[in-house]
Amino acid sequence: MIRTELKRGTAALAILSVLEQGPLHGYEIGRRIEERTNGALRYTLAALYPLLYRMEHHGWLKAEWETGENGKRRRCYRLTAKGKKMLAPMRAEWADLFRALRQVAKVTHA
Amino acid sequence: MRDWRSYVRERLAEAGEGGGMDEGVVRGLAEHLEDLYTGLRASGMTQQEALRRTPSHVGNWLELQQGITAARQEGAMNERVAKFWIPSLVTLVAAWGVLTILICAGVQPWMTHPAEPRGLIMYVPWLVVLPPVGAAGAYLVRRANASGWRVYAAGAFPAVATALLFVLILPWALVVDRHVAPDFQLLGFATGIVSWVLLPGVALVIGAALEGLRGSHQKERLPRV
Repeated sequence: MIRTELKRGTAALAILSVLEQGPLHGYEIGRRIEERTNGALRYTLAALYPLLYRMEHHGWLKAEWETGENGKRRRCYRLTAKGKKMLAPMRAEWADLFRALRQVAKVTHA
Repeated sequence: MRDWRSYVRERLAEAGEGGGMDEGVVRGLAEHLEDLYTGLRASGMTQQEALRRTPSHVGNWLELQQGITAARQEGAMNERVAKFWIPSLVTLVAAWGVLTILICAGVQPWMTHPAEPRGLIMYVPWLVVLPPVGAAGAYLVRRANASGWRVYAAGAFPAVATALLFVLILPWALVVDRHVAPDFQLLGFATGIVSWVLLPGVALVIGAALEGLRGSHQKERLPRV
């Protein structure tokens, strides 16, 4: 079980990574992250939505209302070119962090 | 089934001491909860259990309400800076910078009444440079995906800033500086406004308007997707 404080910092990278595959609406973003991490990363709406709005304002995401096949209107988030550019340095930063943790705290992969 | 939109609206209002949240935000959150509920029901959960479990995915309503409000305010502030303040400051620095260079280079102004304080003063080369400066400000506004009044306000910002100086500093100078008051003439003040605010303002607005026109022509030429 990963504590909320630890998870919070991971959310931006997790969101950008699932959106790299294509546009998704809010619920689907949360579900994909949970599915890909086997439930280890599960964000509440209180953690997810403020970050989505912040990322949108930074120009990393673009949100648009779209009508789905069932006629339902949904706010769909897609990665922008600026957001794509953010992914590589963010991944490198996390890789550095894991490397450092491995050295100092003997953290290993499960 | 529960009306999730009303539910979200009520909970956000409770959390934010009655503060209203944008309807688009409410709709987005309500859809998320509805999807969660549908997912739980599809997994075999009873209606009652699904209704009980769905809101637990929200976490803290106050945190959600404050988080979204802060993110949107931050966004609005960033937007104002990018769409108005940066272009405005660029035009201001460019306009006053060019004037300073001209004065330092010894360029003499054209004056209608050289010996009197009531005459019009015109730095003609400066007035010629101002339309491109206004156009540059307007271009920066358009590049930040803004339009309308911002194009003209940012383009004409140096004139607005000068007008503010006239309005704020001159009355103060009249009170504080005794040397100003005896020579002061209302006509001189009026010609000062014309020389330093109106004429430069018109030149800047012409540039901004031409850039605005160029932008709208470009938009028309773009194929509709």
